[in-house]
Amino acid sequence: MAIQIGIGLSTQKDPFLAAKEATSQARLNLHGTKINLAIVFSSVELASPTLLKYISNYAGDPPIVGCSGAAIISNRGIFKHGVIIMLLCFPDSDGLYFNTACVKDIHEKFALSAGEELGDKLLYGLKNMSRHLSVIFSDGMIEKCSDLISGLQEKLGISFPLVGASASDNLAFKKTYVYFNQEVFNNAACGILWGSRLSFGLGTKHGWKSLGKPRLVTKSSGNIVNEIDNTPAVKIYEDYLALDRAALKKELKRISIFYPIGIKLSGEQEFLLRNVSSIEEDGSIVFQGNVPEKSVIRLMIGTKETCLSATYQALEEAKKGLFGQPVKFALVFDSVSRYILLGRDAHKELEIIKQALGKDTAIIGLYTYGEQAPLRAINYLGKAYFHNQTFTILIVGG
Amino acid sequence: MISIIGITSIIILIVLAFLLLAKMEKIKQMQSAVDNLKNSLDEMDEQAKLIVRTDMELNKTQEELDKKITGLYSLQRLSRAISTTLEEKQIFNMIDPSYMEDLGFEKACGFLWNTQIQGFQLYINIGYTQDESEEIKSSVNANKNMYLDLIKTQKTISSSSTSSDMSLKNKINRTYKTNSFIISPLVPKEGNKGFLFVGTEKIDTLVTEGDEELITILSNQLGQALDNARLFENTWQAHQELENRVEQRTHELTLALDEVRKISKRKTDFVSSVSHELRTPLTSIKGYASILLAEKLGALPSEVKLRLEKINRHSDELAQLVNDLLDISRIQSGRVIMKRESHNLKEIINGAVELLSEQLKERQIELSVDMPEEANVSVDAGQIKRVFINIIGNAIKFTPPKGKISISVRKAGKNIEVDTSDTGCGIPEEARESIFEEFYRVENAINEEVKGTGLGLALVKNIIEAHKGKIWVTSKIGAGSTFSFVLPQEN
Repeated sequence: MAIQIGIGLSTQKDPFLAAKEATSQARLNLHGTKINLAIVFSSVELASPTLLKYISNYAGDPPIVGCSGAAIISNRGIFKHGVIIMLLCFPDSDGLYFNTACVKDIHEKFALSAGEELGDKLLYGLKNMSRHLSVIFSDGMIEKCSDLISGLQEKLGISFPLVGASASDNLAFKKTYVYFNQEVFNNAACGILWGSRLSFGLGTKHGWKSLGKPRLVTKSSGNIVNEIDNTPAVKIYEDYLALDRAALKKELKRISIFYPIGIKLSGEQEFLLRNVSSIEEDGSIVFQGNVPEKSVIRLMIGTKETCLSATYQALEEAKKGLFGQPVKFALVFDSVSRYILLGRDAHKELEIIKQALGKDTAIIGLYTYGEQAPLRAINYLGKAYFHNQTFTILIVGG
Repeated sequence: MISIIGITSIIILIVLAFLLLAKMEKIKQMQSAVDNLKNSLDEMDEQAKLIVRTDMELNKTQEELDKKITGLYSLQRLSRAISTTLEEKQIFNMIDPSYMEDLGFEKACGFLWNTQIQGFQLYINIGYTQDESEEIKSSVNANKNMYLDLIKTQKTISSSSTSSDMSLKNKINRTYKTNSFIISPLVPKEGNKGFLFVGTEKIDTLVTEGDEELITILSNQLGQALDNARLFENTWQAHQELENRVEQRTHELTLALDEVRKISKRKTDFVSSVSHELRTPLTSIKGYASILLAEKLGALPSEVKLRLEKINRHSDELAQLVNDLLDISRIQSGRVIMKRESHNLKEIINGAVELLSEQLKERQIELSVDMPEEANVSVDAGQIKRVFINIIGNAIKFTPPKGKISISVRKAGKNIEVDTSDTGCGIPEEARESIFEEFYRVENAINEEVKGTGLGLALVKNIIEAHKGKIWVTSKIGAGSTFSFVLPQEN
């Protein structure tokens, strides 16, 4: 017997009513089968223990993982306000097993060791078993998310398939939330580690194109780039956009979305994108992910067309992982930058997904402040990175 | 040998020198190619800069356009929602947070001035907790003059338009916990005015002129909706008041009518019982007077006889009066049932005329009857005969000798209409309604001379109405009167 899933969506404003409506819908298809896991995404105003408590109550107390998003994605559309729940039932005969875990106080513990702690917790009880995939959700306001991934990779393996999302809020970039069982956290990350053989495919693409001449990062530390081509990092943007530093700071959000930098990594086909997080007084730029020293970088530019074409490519890439098996469900982690860039055309992206996976395939997802995925998802041994601006999809067959 | 080595070395050196020269030339060429490439790359980079700058401008324009389209859509939806209600409070409830969000603002407050409390009252609260909205309300009322001045100017202000007045901008942002805002006055033509605040916490959201325009349109529509609601409220209240007054008056009239009915019934009962009581002694008086007049108890002196005859005649009149009164009260109380049967009206009229033929002859009045051969009516013949006796009797009374009385009978739809005209003195206009009331007598010379009970026409009216008919009079002073009545024709 294959995995059984149920999906429920609610746009009720009250967390209790939203939990009740969405869970009831999700349970409809499951005909009373014991629920083993719940994945929950919601808009920030619903991010409350009440929501999780009632989901847990109505779903029979399964482990819950998830996070908040600027909008939620489902077969039925994109909703700025609401909650979407996926309930999963694994029949005993399939020998499917998994573990969920959470790490809190990431900032205080430092992202790298927090990542290691999460890895250890996820591995608990699964150390001597085969492991196939990890899905993680982290607070979108954590600055050193690349380090969190590195810490996790220290424990799970550098090339272990990892996919995940950084939570987002209502584009205020203030406070995002991670859901774990009946609790809601900031400054935290949670995840699932899947044991047993799980048929899945991963796809991640951004669609941004390089522009201008390559440049060298001559001084950097973690996610702070001090100098590019031996001049203050901010000069790259001052030159390209013909704006002074004050004007750049004003336009930061637009610059971050439309013109990230791309890191060319040796052996990888795609550029790894980095959004600008802030501009420092000394001309250094803080990015949302790490930018190693001596990296060759380019300024990147994206349009609606290249963005949607990347969605199509990521879906094709993910489908290859299933080797023709039908898609059971899909988890979509889509960057808020793409949401803003696409604007009124955001629904076109959902149409492409539905067209590629079949209109009745269960889809749940959210808009994120960062995505975690292998750069070349088709390569099973590809290393996972923290991304910005991507459309990342996990599809599970069965 | 040495020379061979030397020559060979020289040759090698020369070859090497040539090779070196060739290499240097190649390096030079390559350097030149690299320089060219570098130049191309620099040129390309310059072009890239132009592309990025143009792209940024395009994106900005696109964003502004998208924002305007979304804003217009939500404004249209909001306008539709607002116009669906005519209740003042409900107008504000129609402003859903999602509309505001589409307009680019996650926070909104709506205030209206309350003259009774001399302060602003909060009507919309979007994006604030209860405590926060209370705080904002207190702050607004602490600075009420500033807001009242703003309402007076009827101008929309925003964080962009007040950028020169940093203290005002910061004060408003602090009050509403925002980074950008628009405040637009709500100015209905009638009643209390107010203002609409919208704002956002987002640091990078700049309020544009387009945003100000949209919010101004929204506040104008809210003002219009408030006007409509207030107008409706006033109209509705006036309508309610009118209805209440009508209801009250109707109630008063019903009470008065009940009272009149009670009095009328009491009068009818009184007349009925008095008449009954009068009839018995009258019969005795008349009986004794007859016995005495018949001189069965002995001859009477002529003086006595004369007086007895008067007693007898007056007793007759009194008996007639009592009988009429009794009949009227019986008809009014429904105690007399009309025995309706089919009769030819001609026979009834002839019967009445025959009874009055002596008087007609005496006064030399000519009576003519104009009627179809067959005029069948479903009536109580005895009662209708009384009607004719009374009407013709009155006509004789008020028509001077040698005058004319004409009776005309004709079909009028489903009814038969009877007109009795005379060439008498006529009835004054003001008396035409009253002559059908009991004991009413027109003040004129004839009535002064001729005695009457004032009950005849009242009895006639009661009989006609008991037959579901109608009676009326037309008259001209000095020319005569026409008494008309209708009776339902036989089915």
